[in-house]
Amino acid sequence: MNQEELNNRLTEIKDKLTAVEQPADNRIWLTCEAENSYEINKFLFEEVPLRFVIATGIDSDDCFEVLYHYAYDETGCMITLKANIGDREKPAIESIAPFLPGAEWIEREIHDILGIDFKNHPDMRRLILSDDWPEGVYPLRKDAEKPVSRPDGEPLTRPTVQSQSPARRTVPLSKPVVVVGPFHPLQEEMEFFQLSVDGEIVTDIDMRISYNHRGIEKISESLQFDQVPFLVSRICGICSASHPLAYVQAVEELAGIKPPERALYVRTIITELERIHSHILWVGLAGHFIGYDTVFMWAWKYREPVLDLLEEITGNRNNYGNVKVGGCREDVPNDLIPKILKELDGIEKKMEMITKAVLDDPVLHARLKGVGVLSKADAVKYAVTGPTARASGVAIDVRRDDPYAAYADLDWNVISQPEGDVFAKAVVRLLETFESIKIVRQALEKLPDGPVAAEVKEIPPGEAVGHVEAPRGETFHYVRSDGGNRPVRHKVRAPSFVNVPSFKASCIGGHIADVTITLAAVDPCYSCTERLAVVDNNKVIHDYDTLLQLSREKTARIRKEML
Amino acid sequence: MSVPLNVLFWIVVIPGTVVLGLLACWIVRKVSALVQWRVGPPLFQPFYDVVKLMGKEILVPQEAQKAVFMAAPLVGMAGVLLLSIMLWRVAFVPAKPFVGDIIVAIYLMVLPSLALILGSSASASPHAAVGTSREMKLVMGYELSLVLALIVVIIKTGGTLNLAEIAQHTTVFSISNMLAFLVALLCVQAKLGFVPFDIAEAETEVASGVLMEYSGALLAVWKLAHAIMLVALPLFLVIVFLGGFDVTFLTMVFRGTFEPTLIMPLVWSICKYVLVLVLLILIKNTNPRVRIDQAMKFFWVYCGVALVAAIILATIGKNFGVSWL
Amino acid sequence: MSWKIWSLKKSPWVFHVNTGACNNCDIEIVNLLTPKFDVERFGIKLVGSPRHADALLVTGVVTRQAAPRLQEVYRQTSKPCVVFAIGACACDKGIFTTGYHVVGPVDKIIREVDPNAIIAYVPGCPPKPEAMISGIVQALSVL
Repeated sequence: MNQEELNNRLTEIKDKLTAVEQPADNRIWLTCEAENSYEINKFLFEEVPLRFVIATGIDSDDCFEVLYHYAYDETGCMITLKANIGDREKPAIESIAPFLPGAEWIEREIHDILGIDFKNHPDMRRLILSDDWPEGVYPLRKDAEKPVSRPDGEPLTRPTVQSQSPARRTVPLSKPVVVVGPFHPLQEEMEFFQLSVDGEIVTDIDMRISYNHRGIEKISESLQFDQVPFLVSRICGICSASHPLAYVQAVEELAGIKPPERALYVRTIITELERIHSHILWVGLAGHFIGYDTVFMWAWKYREPVLDLLEEITGNRNNYGNVKVGGCREDVPNDLIPKILKELDGIEKKMEMITKAVLDDPVLHARLKGVGVLSKADAVKYAVTGPTARASGVAIDVRRDDPYAAYADLDWNVISQPEGDVFAKAVVRLLETFESIKIVRQALEKLPDGPVAAEVKEIPPGEAVGHVEAPRGETFHYVRSDGGNRPVRHKVRAPSFVNVPSFKASCIGGHIADVTITLAAVDPCYSCTERLAVVDNNKVIHDYDTLLQLSREKTARIRKEML
Repeated sequence: MSVPLNVLFWIVVIPGTVVLGLLACWIVRKVSALVQWRVGPPLFQPFYDVVKLMGKEILVPQEAQKAVFMAAPLVGMAGVLLLSIMLWRVAFVPAKPFVGDIIVAIYLMVLPSLALILGSSASASPHAAVGTSREMKLVMGYELSLVLALIVVIIKTGGTLNLAEIAQHTTVFSISNMLAFLVALLCVQAKLGFVPFDIAEAETEVASGVLMEYSGALLAVWKLAHAIMLVALPLFLVIVFLGGFDVTFLTMVFRGTFEPTLIMPLVWSICKYVLVLVLLILIKNTNPRVRIDQAMKFFWVYCGVALVAAIILATIGKNFGVSWL
Repeated sequence: MSWKIWSLKKSPWVFHVNTGACNNCDIEIVNLLTPKFDVERFGIKLVGSPRHADALLVTGVVTRQAAPRLQEVYRQTSKPCVVFAIGACACDKGIFTTGYHVVGPVDKIIREVDPNAIIAYVPGCPPKPEAMISGIVQALSVL
């Protein structure tokens, strides 16, 4: 289906829409009333079908808006459906989660931060605000009182509050439960998984995030357009080139700025170097998770030269701060090119060795094949992206589908594997590293001369989206401007936000020893997931008492059952 | 046992074993580091670790069975110490054995694992509970293989249950003995909690599992017990499968006679010990952790078949006088 | 200098606590273990249970949800235990100061449970691994 046919399909729902805009060939904005949003969403997701990206909740002065962002990957088209909710007192809209599990989390998030009720949502617990967050305070509403932060001296152990929604899923008490987190050596970051187990087999998984929620979207509204890249590069340390790039592309689209050629190539080089070090990092961590520390040490040793290169180009090993609206801050000096090429040769050789070792190791085959399988159907349902999707046979890659920076001029392949297991994810990442090396080489060869930044005068009112293929998948930014020098709404969707909920499909039925590597295989990034805020306070398990105490109760329970 | 020999014996056994154990700990960490392209810890690092842990606060979880929780490390320590005393006795005074000491050795070797299971289930932590259940399954997995491997040796040495006699009479280079040795080596790998059988302590899966709740001096006792196991278990393998540990040179020196010809057997014995230790370390560093079901299958199915074959070979070899079988 | 402090300096075991960091500091901490920096040379070891820890490496701004957990982890460590605030966020909340879900910085939250806690600061965004090693060594040398 090409772009024209897509446009034709969309005319089928024309009478339910109040407005259709198409500022560019592959950017479509639809507007509708809240009552019709369920049907239109169902049509877009199931009939067309489009890939669900994320939803954005916005507090416009007179009403609430919920924006549903979709992507059509064959033409790289981004379609946004705006639903207006007129009732400011009791804002409500039909939930789309029943047919689109990938939207479950974002609806919970919007409920937390804006207080919009999603009717018929299967599980409306808190997601992103902390357990002790006062009920009825919605931080992203424009009239939200400023001092939402904790006053000094207030104790940290207030009784937990419960979400108003009646539908709350609880884990039956009779089942033994193993908790992972919030501090657990499995991940560098905090997370909380609650695994219901039958012997060593996982029967259910429940997740709680919020530990990492810093409220970045709100902070972003208080920063100027050119300050925001520094903030978003700190969403996640390993995607610290991809997030600013997605944001900057959204702003450039909004203001119609064309960065100079050389800047596009420099952006390509930085993001690909980032992908190389991120994938090597993952290989090492995956080795560590299955107890293969030698692989961990070797992989991280080979990752160091990439960090050194990045430090030489941008001045920092991580958090490069190199991308700005209109171009780049730092150029790749021409006399550094031979050195980069030489280092790349070395990395390629080492990666060939590791790849061969991994692909030929019979123990790894036994350990990883058929483990944590995410089927293609589930991958579509949960709208996963990046290597997670490509390892399940969904060959999507923003770099090819909606080319940005210099990717359209370069020759490279999208790697995909049909199996969907952990091994396939490892293979995809390993092979992608070689593609990235190829891309950097070509970009360095073709690097055009000229300036690396264009002058930016002002940002007009309007809205735009930008998306970039980060190492973990598509990172998506939505920016709205009112003509001032700060964004009035800035929505971030990091890849892990859609990849992490897919654990529900890939972990259940697996072995508890496989859960860790299955979780790790997605390369989850919780700081990305929680740019916003949230918490769940469900039932028995975790209120303020220490995890350990809670777990001890559980052990007592288990023991009693065994007697 | 003469009086001076007695003194030598106790010098070697109590502080000596501990010092050797810490040294073995260092070797494990250093060799692992070298394999991983790192420099690794300084020589006295295991010693510093233990001293530091001794000076730290001991925390006991509120819901824990305090007595069991505190006693478990001591029981484990007692088990390995007794085992090493027995093994050194076999080495130093082979002439004074007692019948069936190999059976006692088998029981003593289970003691640390049992103590670990007791201690961690007394700690009332769910991670420790997962670790405990894994440890139990693992013990059931490898114990059978270990006993079968010992039976091979007993058959080969004509039915003696005496460690000193076994040490003198094993035919090291025979098919059945080598098979049994390899299996027993893997069992020891599991007993030591090394990769690929560190399932119960898998840091990334169950947060150091069984030892999670221990702190301070109690943890130090566990670390010491583990260090002594690093001496005792390879020593056991050397005595049973590799023709014994010859310390006649030391006993002679202590009695005042310097016999240079006896140096070689001692050096050779030490080499055998180091060989076993290095084998264990290399296996540890070149394999990923297996799952508990894979470990059980490995010990019961693959090792089981290999050992049955070894027993048949050994029986045939014994009855028909073919020593290489 | 008592033997307890002496041995603590020789063998500081660290437990890593992320309280809402962007991952960079965390990755650099893990980097300390790898061949290029290899802190095992100094006896520093990353452990999996707070009960085994002599030092907490705390990264991140301390979010509202993480704060009580951080306090609990600190309570569960066996003393003496040094707290390291790693990175700009942990030292003074950095770029996230105005965030509504941020209650840090680390020293404030730790002092709520133990006013006499020993807290060391390693600033940087992220601090380079060399800076972390130097910070840990300097902090231990003044104990």
